[in-house]
Amino acid sequence: MALVELRSVVKRFGDHVVLNNVDLSVQKGEIIAIIGRSGSGKSTLLRCINGLEPVQSGEVLVDGVAVHDPKADLRKLRARVGFVFQSFNLFPHLTVERNITLAPTIVKGLERDKAAVLAREALKRVGLEEKLHAYADQLSGGQQQRVAIARSLAMSPTIMLFDEITSALDPELVGEVLRVLENMAREGMTMLLVTHEMNFARRVANRVLFMNQGTIWEQGPAAEFFQSPKTDELRNFLGSVLN
Amino acid sequence: MGYTFHFRDVFAAQDALLSGLALTLQLTATTIVAGFVLGLGVAAAAVYGPRWARRAAHAYVEIIRNTPLLVQLFVVFFGLPSIGIKLDVIPVATIGLAINLGAYASEIIRAGIESIPKSQVEAAVALGLTGRQVFRHIILVPALKNVYPSLTSQFILLMLATSVASQIAAPELFYAGSIIQSRTYRDFEVYTVIAVAYLVLALLLRVVFALCYRLLVRRR
Amino acid sequence: MIRELSWVDPLYLIFALRWTVAITLLALAGGASLGLVVAACGSSGNAASRLAARGYVGLVQGIPLLAWLFLFFFGFPIFGIDVPGWLAATVAFSVYSAGFLGEIWRGALLSIPKTQWEASASMGLSYLEQLRYVIIPQAVRIATPPTVGFIVQLIKNTSLASVIGFVELTREGQMTAAATLAPLPVYLMVGALYFALCYPLTTYSRFLERRLRGAR
Repeated sequence: MALVELRSVVKRFGDHVVLNNVDLSVQKGEIIAIIGRSGSGKSTLLRCINGLEPVQSGEVLVDGVAVHDPKADLRKLRARVGFVFQSFNLFPHLTVERNITLAPTIVKGLERDKAAVLAREALKRVGLEEKLHAYADQLSGGQQQRVAIARSLAMSPTIMLFDEITSALDPELVGEVLRVLENMAREGMTMLLVTHEMNFARRVANRVLFMNQGTIWEQGPAAEFFQSPKTDELRNFLGSVLN
Repeated sequence: MGYTFHFRDVFAAQDALLSGLALTLQLTATTIVAGFVLGLGVAAAAVYGPRWARRAAHAYVEIIRNTPLLVQLFVVFFGLPSIGIKLDVIPVATIGLAINLGAYASEIIRAGIESIPKSQVEAAVALGLTGRQVFRHIILVPALKNVYPSLTSQFILLMLATSVASQIAAPELFYAGSIIQSRTYRDFEVYTVIAVAYLVLALLLRVVFALCYRLLVRRR
Repeated sequence: MIRELSWVDPLYLIFALRWTVAITLLALAGGASLGLVVAACGSSGNAASRLAARGYVGLVQGIPLLAWLFLFFFGFPIFGIDVPGWLAATVAFSVYSAGFLGEIWRGALLSIPKTQWEASASMGLSYLEQLRYVIIPQAVRIATPPTVGFIVQLIKNTSLASVIGFVELTREGQMTAAATLAPLPVYLMVGALYFALCYPLTTYSRFLERRLRGAR
């Protein structure tokens, strides 16, 4: 059974069609990179998967939950689907530790001391244990993004969604974040990444999707995808970004 | 000039002044608490409520902001008995003042709530928090911290406005002044002392609020 | 003598509005003139002027308006100045208003970025020309919404003139309430009249503020 299943998904913002009949199937353990120009619908696709954006028609099934159903209780699902944002969105008035323990204690009802242990382990996975009691504005962009990843990891998700998480970072800080992602991939996490980091996608992803005009224009295994693009649009896109 | 100032007579009535001052402080304190709670509720209704609640909140704020406090106090003073509620003048004054403060506080708090970036809310929602949990943990405290200066300025204005309650015979500081004045005929001296008392109170409140800010709001 | 509340009473109330408007305009004239001085001193290069302005504002904003009214009402005769009650009230309102308007206008002046001064100076304009053609026009645009908001406050504040016996809208209401023994409907009417006067101004102030934010 696929972990994520999209069937004929249509998403509109007013009159503008952002996702035009999208079909997608993601198996457990797959690592999928999504690339494309801005406005192609890639971020929207991700946001539909955890219900941050409603869909007008079609089906979105994630880990057995019908996300497209307006009556669905998405809270339980969101505890299993981690989402990391481009602008990190750490809570500035809370310490790093409290940022990470907030959801486990409130949503899952975990005791504070157990949650604290969870927080320390999550921070260890991203290499920032010493920042347990820091505040967001004391951290660099790369560190904040790693804390954001730890925050999602602390909920033990079955799938992680990453929405252009390195686009807002200074170039020298991108590496530390990508390293964390590589470790997670090695550990077998199911990941969907919207990204501009083509080299990373080629190295780490199993499958790459090229979004264009609201549909999955072309997709394929990473190596073949980058080496021999089949459509003109993808060829042009790769030509312009890989130089 | 042919006039000698007789402050002694005013200071001889210090018991009356002190009891008036005590009531002013009491009115201020209870009104701040009641007005803040009311303002918080109205602000939440204005931002998150169904349409009828948003409209009611908007109407309440506009009516209070566009009518004088004196008239509001008169309406409460004469209105409560007519619907069968018979209260002493001090609770009546508190209710009138709290209704007034609540409107201004709600506007300030509402601005604070709306100043929290949507991205914060989105991150909390993506972690699985309910609307109420998001409000309680992510919005409320940062919003109040942001508007603390405006809110406390409004509280100081309220303290000064308690003087208007003298007009419905609430025996606070200003009322005490008018009693002493009618007894001693030292009009100018009395009100000079009263004015200085309010000034000192206002400065004290400002210091207290600044201290609370440092203790509660600034974390480092 | 007690009489019934009749259809004439609202009319008397409405007529009393003209006194409310009159005091407001007089107080505005006095307060604006004094307020300009306070604003100018508050933003001047002279530290003593700035201190004086800050002291004035602090003093005015730390004392209730009722106290100011009584101080001037009882103070004038003591210092040998014989003025009618309404003039004492107007002076009190003007002094009070200047303390708030001065702050609002000082804030507006200060919010003009230094670069505007630099740019106009580099064009060869004198200090007064800079003020007249570049700085004050911008400051006026910024200051207008809060000034209109303060005018609403002033209208409401004139209700306190009733306390020293001046017959404006609130005092007229008090007399009507006493004569008809129907205070609640009378004061509700009084409130409605203030609302009718203030609400349009409040709405206008908000409209100006939105337009200002859009332009920036």
